[in-house]
Amino acid sequence: MSRATLAKKNALPLKEAGLFKELLSQYENRLLKKGLKTAEQILKKFPEHGETLCMKGLLLTHMGRREEGIDLVKKGIRFDLTSHICWHVFGLIQKADKNYEEALRSYTQALRFDSENINLLRDSAQLQTQLRLFDNLVETRHHLLRLRPNLRQNWVALAVAYHLNGNLDEAKRVIEQYLYSLKNVPNYDVELSETLLYYVNILEQSGDLSGALSELDTKSKSRAIVDRTAVLTTRARLLTKLASPEAGDSWKALIDHNPDNLESYRGYLADQGVSLDDPTSALEAIPHLKAFAKTYPKASVPVRLQLTILPASDPEFSTLITNYLERALKKGVPSIFADLKALYSDLEKRKIVETIAENIKQQNFAAVEEKPSKVDEQKEPTTYLWTLYFLAQHYSYVPPSTTVVPNHKLALEYVNNALSHTPTLPELYLLKGRILKRGGDFLGAASAMNEARILDGQDRFLNTKAGKYLLRAGMVEEASRLFGMFTKKDAESPGHDLEDMQSLLFLLEEGDAFKRVGKPNLALKRYMAVKKIFDTIEDDQFDFHGYNLRKFTLNVYLTLLTWEDTLRSHPGYVNAAIKASNIFVEVSDDPSIVKALTTTDHLSDAEKKARKKAKKAAVKAQEDKKSTQTSNADKELEAPPPKDDDPEGLKLIASTDGLEQAAKLLQPLTKLAPKNIDVWLAIHDVAIRRKKLLQAVGALHKAASLDAEHPELHIRLVDLKQRGKTFSDLPAPVNSTFTEELEKLIPEAASQSLENYNAQYLQRHSAESRCILAAAKVAKSLSGSVQDVENIVFNVFGPEVSLDIKTALSALSLLVSLSSQRKDEFRAAAQKHFEFSTAFKAPSELEEMHKYVLAESTADGKPASAESTTPEKK
Amino acid sequence: MGMQACNLQNLPENYALRFWLYHLMTWPQISFVAEDAKGQIVGYVLAKIEHPSEDDKEAHVHGHVNSISVLRSYRRLGLANKLMLLAQEAMTSIYHAEYCSLHVRRSNRAAIGLYRDSLGFEVAKVEKGYYGDGEDAFSMRLNLQNKNGFIN
Repeated sequence: MSRATLAKKNALPLKEAGLFKELLSQYENRLLKKGLKTAEQILKKFPEHGETLCMKGLLLTHMGRREEGIDLVKKGIRFDLTSHICWHVFGLIQKADKNYEEALRSYTQALRFDSENINLLRDSAQLQTQLRLFDNLVETRHHLLRLRPNLRQNWVALAVAYHLNGNLDEAKRVIEQYLYSLKNVPNYDVELSETLLYYVNILEQSGDLSGALSELDTKSKSRAIVDRTAVLTTRARLLTKLASPEAGDSWKALIDHNPDNLESYRGYLADQGVSLDDPTSALEAIPHLKAFAKTYPKASVPVRLQLTILPASDPEFSTLITNYLERALKKGVPSIFADLKALYSDLEKRKIVETIAENIKQQNFAAVEEKPSKVDEQKEPTTYLWTLYFLAQHYSYVPPSTTVVPNHKLALEYVNNALSHTPTLPELYLLKGRILKRGGDFLGAASAMNEARILDGQDRFLNTKAGKYLLRAGMVEEASRLFGMFTKKDAESPGHDLEDMQSLLFLLEEGDAFKRVGKPNLALKRYMAVKKIFDTIEDDQFDFHGYNLRKFTLNVYLTLLTWEDTLRSHPGYVNAAIKASNIFVEVSDDPSIVKALTTTDHLSDAEKKARKKAKKAAVKAQEDKKSTQTSNADKELEAPPPKDDDPEGLKLIASTDGLEQAAKLLQPLTKLAPKNIDVWLAIHDVAIRRKKLLQAVGALHKAASLDAEHPELHIRLVDLKQRGKTFSDLPAPVNSTFTEELEKLIPEAASQSLENYNAQYLQRHSAESRCILAAAKVAKSLSGSVQDVENIVFNVFGPEVSLDIKTALSALSLLVSLSSQRKDEFRAAAQKHFEFSTAFKAPSELEEMHKYVLAESTADGKPASAESTTPEKK
Repeated sequence: MGMQACNLQNLPENYALRFWLYHLMTWPQISFVAEDAKGQIVGYVLAKIEHPSEDDKEAHVHGHVNSISVLRSYRRLGLANKLMLLAQEAMTSIYHAEYCSLHVRRSNRAAIGLYRDSLGFEVAKVEKGYYGDGEDAFSMRLNLQNKNGFIN
């Protein structure tokens, strides 16, 4: 085809050209159906008009005919490769698809043919920010400013672009020029105030502290900066950096503004040369804090800080803590234990608190036992109650890295005692549930939580707790019914609503529950849903790249960008990524897991029925959605969400690229969670199976640098040594580096006899149950002798060993996986060790017990007793 | 995200993160959180500013509290009260808001008590069937100008 014919095809005669203009404006005004008609009218005469084909394609993608639409757009581009409209359309579709890189490429193409198109430039800038391509961003913003210097936001946009690109001098210059050009700004203009605060921020970051300070002072005095909190905070920070004598007063002003902000006290003390993180230095804070406590008697920070700083031996500590605790218990502050438990890393302080609380209990005992008339006015029955509540928490809590042995039995006694006085306080049931959970009675715990919930059916906090504990007890369906009392009634299921509302708590807990009850497909589905939420949140920033510049909220915008860059360090993501990756690894090691899940033979009739029903419901919900969506399709450009064709996660778990997916999940964590040993272990597990030996051994090195004796690392080192023997077909340099690196982790001499190596490890950690279990697992892989494994596993019941429920359960499942004869013996021993526990019961027994967890409720999960306790949420 | 998690655990009215971001990016100065010693968010207030439309001469700039909540386990510390006061102060000093408004479930006696008795809000009107489940809302208001101008 020659160029001439192309050109001929592209130019439309007058009438059609008019129609095309109409088509564009119909799209702009979201008149999709009308637009489609117009497009077809043009195409009837000119079926190969590229731009019209693209516009038609674009319209179709918004009308639920995605594939067809995209095909048309591609066809359109082929007919008219030099049209900016064609490329723009393609870019729009890719952008809507969150495919930012491809979209930017299309926009760049489009700009080649229409370099001064404002819309194209603005969209490109947003894409460049999203992709963090700051060099290009500066260029684009420059271009925009040249084209539209009258638009104020173009100035700050360029400054921000320079700033992001690390060029503070230019950023400063641009902002200064902009501020200089401003005229007739009304008083109390919030936009100007924010811009000035941004300017101060640039000055501060570029090291011009006194410049920043004088700008801040002049502009806040003239009331151009109106955000007083920001002024006070920035001022204190600047004066401190300048080591100015005024710094102390500036922190005091900030404390006066809000006496409950810990950071202000920290700032003040740091300026006085006191570091709260250094115990000797911290003591010097006491006189300052005393003064603050006097000035702000209602603020808790000054007193609470003293409790942390003062040594237990100081009589002042006892006096202060007595008042602090007594006041809270009299008032009935439920969080007082959560507040004070941080002091317990000092066991002497723990002891003092215990004595004081027991005293308060004694003193107030009379209030409950004697008749009101005789009671001392100071003594309150509620004080007695909250003291019991406090002490019960005290006895069942184990401060981290201490050897405190929890006394769940005593704790339960206290709670039950409190309950016999006041059976209507939900907090008491919550606590009872928590103690039972710690003792391993997950069913009793769920039952207690449910009782709390029934006491106040309108309270979602109680509902969430009860649901969470049901999940912990493996009762997924019952939990879903409870959650459903507060989720939207038109959602496909309570879980769908919670997923839409981005509840990480729910997804992670339900995922864990599915994992425990042998449904790794659904567990994986939930973990990947968490990942998707983080993808969404990353996408969420997109619109703000334009929005904040228009609103001039620049400092908070920069905070947003940094936050987004470190988003995946969130414990929810880390947790989900590791757990999903573990499942992918398990499936890769044992593909029979997938096979067992996909054959329906093992399903009971009831399960089959439930599955059918769920499928039907899903289809119906989808249809309902469609019907509501088509009605407003003309107004909204949002295409309906694609239907989930894998509600059970069976396709997901059978993915052939599971390990690649796992590697992608973990990848951001190498930078964002490098202190988390589980991250490195997971990275190793994936890498070794993808035959990335150097990455695998490198990950173990990172793990070893965090904790060389970690039980999970021990397992992997032996495993890697064994695997190492099988990697014979490696290229020589890789092989030698791999051997060398592995040697550093586990010396050749030791690996002559891995059995010995394992025995030594066991000896070194003979009192740590997790290490014993690791040694048992290693023994399993080395000799495969069931007897060896059993002999090691039973060490966990040794008198000097600290055993926790989780480890005991893993040990049991190890025995079960070996079809050990001694598994029932283990169950019995564990039961003896964990008195209240229901976790070691045989599965059949547990099933029977499930029935009693929600005994107070009727079958449909609603409380049977009173109407009033049922929340009427829709 | 902490605000969002706190909201999901406590209240029936929930929003996707985008909604929270939108408020913080538009009015970064008037929302506040309460944290425990570990920095976990245990309470928050999310607020916005309403500017009157051009043709409505009667209306004034005012603040609106979208959502305020404190975890049940952190009650009786006066956190909601403090959060609300901080938000109100920022609304007045930065945006010169005439008044602060909020919606509350008619049945939520504890919250109404806080707003009316501790903070001085008054019921401006009843909005029938405001909530998703059909429950009525009290639309409550606190005059911010008066409070700072005359009483203090």
